[in-house]
Amino acid sequence: MIDPHLLLSGVIFGLSMGSVFFLMTLGLSLCFGLMRVISMDQLLYYAVGAYLTYTVSMAIGNVWLGILVGVLVSALVGFVIERLVFQRTYSREITFSMIISFGLLIGGIGIIKAVWGLVPRPVPVPIEAQWNILGTEVPVYRIVVVLIAVLVYAGIWAFLNKTIIGKAIRAGIEDVGHTEGLGINVSRLFTLTFILAGALSGLAGGLHAPLIMVFPDMGLEILAFAFMVVIIGGLGSIKGTFISAFLVGQVVSIGSLVYAPLAQMAPFAIMLLILLIKPTGLYGSAMLKR
Amino acid sequence: MNVLRWWSGLLVAFALLLLLRITLPLPFNNEIVIFAIYVIGCNFLLGRVGFISFGQPAYLAVGAYGTAFYLYYFGTNPFVGILVGVIAGIVVAAIVGPLFVRLRSDYFALVNLALAVIIFFMMQKMLATYTFGDNGLELLTKMDSTPIIDITRPEGFYVLAFVSAFGVWALYKYLDDSVFGACCLAAKVNEDKLRFLGYSNFGVRLMAFIVANTTTAFAGTLYAIHQGLVSPEMSSPARVADPVVVTILGGVGTLYGPLVGSVAFVGMKDLISKYIGHWELVVGVLLIFVMLAGERGIWGSLEPLLRRWVLRQREAEKPAVADAGVKAR
Amino acid sequence: MSKPILVVNGLNASYGESKVLFDVSIDVLDKQVVGCVGRNGAGKSTLLKSIAGFLHPRSGTIVSDGVDLVGQPAYTIANLGIKYIPQDKKVFSDLTVRENLELGSYASGDYDWDPVLTFFPKLKVLMDRKAGYLSGGERQMLMIGRAILGRPKLLLVDEPTEGLAPSIVTHLKDVFRELRRSAALVIVEQNLPMICGIADKIYALNEGRLMAEITERDKITPEYCEPYL
Repeated sequence: MIDPHLLLSGVIFGLSMGSVFFLMTLGLSLCFGLMRVISMDQLLYYAVGAYLTYTVSMAIGNVWLGILVGVLVSALVGFVIERLVFQRTYSREITFSMIISFGLLIGGIGIIKAVWGLVPRPVPVPIEAQWNILGTEVPVYRIVVVLIAVLVYAGIWAFLNKTIIGKAIRAGIEDVGHTEGLGINVSRLFTLTFILAGALSGLAGGLHAPLIMVFPDMGLEILAFAFMVVIIGGLGSIKGTFISAFLVGQVVSIGSLVYAPLAQMAPFAIMLLILLIKPTGLYGSAMLKR
Repeated sequence: MNVLRWWSGLLVAFALLLLLRITLPLPFNNEIVIFAIYVIGCNFLLGRVGFISFGQPAYLAVGAYGTAFYLYYFGTNPFVGILVGVIAGIVVAAIVGPLFVRLRSDYFALVNLALAVIIFFMMQKMLATYTFGDNGLELLTKMDSTPIIDITRPEGFYVLAFVSAFGVWALYKYLDDSVFGACCLAAKVNEDKLRFLGYSNFGVRLMAFIVANTTTAFAGTLYAIHQGLVSPEMSSPARVADPVVVTILGGVGTLYGPLVGSVAFVGMKDLISKYIGHWELVVGVLLIFVMLAGERGIWGSLEPLLRRWVLRQREAEKPAVADAGVKAR
Repeated sequence: MSKPILVVNGLNASYGESKVLFDVSIDVLDKQVVGCVGRNGAGKSTLLKSIAGFLHPRSGTIVSDGVDLVGQPAYTIANLGIKYIPQDKKVFSDLTVRENLELGSYASGDYDWDPVLTFFPKLKVLMDRKAGYLSGGERQMLMIGRAILGRPKLLLVDEPTEGLAPSIVTHLKDVFRELRRSAALVIVEQNLPMICGIADKIYALNEGRLMAEITERDKITPEYCEPYL
């Protein structure tokens, strides 16, 4: 039997992991939903967000400001890349954009190595306080990360359901052609979504940075988990991504308490199981329409 | 005549490969040949079946570890080791294949990628008692030297690798020309029509998946013998791009693309990491550039030109032959 | 004689390698109803999609009010007042009827829903229902409704009555009659009595080629058009 204190801190750890996974994969899911591209380069913006958090927090001493800068720069990089590269890929089949996005990821990691070097960098935890919950010491920062993720989910939900741009994005996720036929500039919608995705991935990296070491291949490290999350949840579904991110977070965390290698293997086993039952994930739509 | 023509392309290609053996150092040549075998599976999946696999290193590692486990714990004969590795490849492909080939191409890519990373973690951490984690399995001293041609030495190994590659290419050329090859292409272009013709879409894809990944596992066994060391590094997330890059670079769906791509890739890697560093940056830029510039790759761009040239030569020959025929009569 | 609102000249279009339209030329006058008939696969839908910008033709010109539409993105063409109502009767099923209309308003800048609700009073009670739960006829009403926001000058309607109950077909016929006061319409239709009842001109297509242009009023009858189906 697992020690209850250990279990509680394991659950909190799992929730914070799930939050990072969710922020990380939300952009992937939105891009797939609307533009039908698998934007592997989101993992690059995750690393960019983390590195800028490191640099700014070293220079100014404020981690939160670092995260903010990370989010803004990731959004900007996303904007430039969407305009320069992805605009040329929308009319092509999905493998085309997938290969290009992978090229962006690999190339970007090369740039990160050139700028920041190969050595892992530590980022200070912005809130060092611990809360005592039922006799267990719990780091407050991890709880803040979870709160931010939940706020983002609520914010995205409100954006998609209450604003006209959000409604247009939902319409586009259902059918781009019809949305365009109404006279909505879908090209601008795509750019906006990509910027949003970049910002979210940057936020994931920035929030994750104080919990890990920042290193160039960090995007590749989290890549398998990110993809397991989107596959389990179903590509393009925001609700599915949310549920699956926290599921994978818990499985990783609790699994490692039971038997360390389970942390990696268990989500993979769950993914295979779900694909066996439903090849498009929990909430994925069956058809790949365009 | 037709038989000769069928073989002529292969013979020319491998004669050129031999020419490379004379001009460039041996380790470089070994690397190229193994890499080409490694990539042809990925090329086949993408070019013929329309499946992009970012997970080829998974099958490479399966083959390599199959060989390594046998040689480290059970026997000493490298040929048996190769056989064990290939069988491991077939078994793994046959287990995951039925699940994977049902998926949409986007899910397929991601699931394979996840598989590669999982195998990496498995070999690095979970099975560390048997694989010695990042230190890897040292095989060099565990292998018996083989009679006639000693494949545990680089010179002998080259002969093995060269002959294997020739065999693999002949097989893939045969597959391309066969009904199976046509079915694969049909599965890529139009699933419904294939079903209409009475072929099982699932079956064709599964066959292609197993053939391609067994080839990749075979490349893994060759790596194991060649390097004498097998570590999880070969399926690390940082390496998953390689086969896709070479496939694109050489030319998707072309028979000789993987060969040309491997020569270019291994050569560039050598040069760039020696003089510039930041290898990833170059790979990434190259990948994007080749895709946006028409995605035909090196061989994909050269082949049509070459084909036209050969045709023109044949055209020029034909009247002469016809004249000779008339005179003889 | 009113001025032409759309002139298509020598249009050639294809899906990938297979050619679908061969040298098709049509013209539509302002506030005219033009019917387009032909068998399945005759290229009628392709013609509409090419005009609406969803398919880029290989050659030919499509001009409306002096603007060349070829190569323009579909949303630009829609914003020029040329709205395409596809055959598939697909509304945004995850959005409510209200949200569907809001998008039409957002795209066109026209927030006056009175005309739409006068044409289709039934939409008023369905306002907060998810569009996915609507019947085929209600979907068609919603599609036409959200397209006429912004008062388009030309509506391209692809098989509007396919699979609908006769009473709704009659209703739609009245709506089209009413719409032509402010817009021209190109209607692809297999239902000859319906289209002959409202059209000023009929184009007959077969295998991607224009077979006939019927302008004489006494010839626009189901009996005369029958052979082209």
